[in-house]
This record gives sequence, structure tokens and C-alpha cells, in this order.
Amino acid sequence: MKKKYGSSVLDISFRIITPFTLIYGVYVYLNGEISPGGGFQAGALLAVGVVLARLIMGAENKIYNVSGRSAVILAGVGTFIYALTGWVTMLRGGKFLDYGFLPFAIGSHGGHMWPALHATGILFIELGVTLCVMMTIIDILDVVVERTDIE
Amino acid sequence: MQNLIIEAALLLFLIGTTVSVIVLKDLLSATFVYCAFSYCAVLLYLMMGSPDVAFTEAVIGVVSTIYFVVALKKLDRWCK
Repeated sequence: MKKKYGSSVLDISFRIITPFTLIYGVYVYLNGEISPGGGFQAGALLAVGVVLARLIMGAENKIYNVSGRSAVILAGVGTFIYALTGWVTMLRGGKFLDYGFLPFAIGSHGGHMWPALHATGILFIELGVTLCVMMTIIDILDVVVERTDIE
Repeated sequence: MQNLIIEAALLLFLIGTTVSVIVLKDLLSATFVYCAFSYCAVLLYLMMGSPDVAFTEAVIGVVSTIYFVVALKKLDRWCK
């Protein structure tokens, strides 16, 4: 331990909880098909990891921090990923979010729904939801903290 | 029968925490009692057989507790 953040309790809990929470968020996102969880919960978990690092280490840490401006931009990017999945299927001749028309060679026969292709489409949508929820939570915390720091 | 007893105890605890959140004059204590309310709701959702909702409630309980504590930096801790 080279540098401590506050007390030893904060230091050790930061070193254990933050990496565990981030990896658990990724696990919940990838395993959301067959277990409880999904995009919203995974995004909230990832945001909790970043927010804990922000609260313990302060705004000047460079490892786990996401600034307010890039948080807003990335939230928009997450929404765009969701919409792009739908638009790709529309451009290929299907309806909005018609997963059978996704351009992957897992096996699509004229819009017939295959389970692997369906899972892939859900994965892309959940990626957009995860990014949007995570960055929105981080941005709300950023706004609240900055408003208290000014006064 | 055992499930009913546990559920009744959880519901009573839920009502108690809700009333104490309203009554408490210390806003920091009210925040942590609200956190206890959230976890009690998590256990109730689990007993009613919806782990998905319970998971969401657990995560959002943590996030909202962090928001309240951060917002308390600006507010006065005691309400008159």
C-alpha cells in the first residue's frame, strides 16, 4: 500500500469492493439471458463501482473516473446503439428490432427467428441500455457533487 | 405457515421503518433507515418469488442512499 485514501477501512474496502463490483456488473450483463439481471441492473452496478471510487478517492483520480461531459456524451451513445440495432434490421428488410435480419452468419433464413441470432440482438440492446444507465447515474452524481462544492 | 410468519415480520419491519423515516428529525439517520427499508423490500420481493425485481431494488437502494448522503452535504442535517 503506497497511498491511503482517508482511513484504512476506506482504503481496503475500496481495493476490494470496487474491482469486484465492476467485474460483477460485466458478469450480470453477459449472463442476463439465463439469470436474474440484465442491462439496467448491470449498468447500475457498474455505476456503483465508479461512484464508490469517486467518493473515496475524490475527483482527481484518473483510474476509475468519468467526467460529467463525457458521461452525457456516452449516455447518448448508449441510446444510439439501441436505435442502431433496430435500424440495421430495418435496412435489411425487416421490422424495427426484428432480430432475424441481423447481419451475422449465425444462421438467418429470410427473417426466421433463430435462438442464437435472437440472443445476439438482445446482447447489443442490453449493451446500449447498460451504457445509458451507467452514464446517467454517474452524471446525476456529478451534478449533485459539483453543486455542493461550489457553495 | 413459516413463510407467513416471516412475511408478516418483514411487513411489520417495513411499516416501522417507513414511520420512523417520516418521524425522524435527523436527516442522516432517516437516510440510513431508508436504506434498511430498501433491503427489507428486497427480502419481501425475494419471498414473493421475483428475484429480478429484488436485484433491481438492491442496486437502486444503494444508489439512492449515496445520492441522499451526498445531497446532505448542502442541506442542514437537522430539520426543525
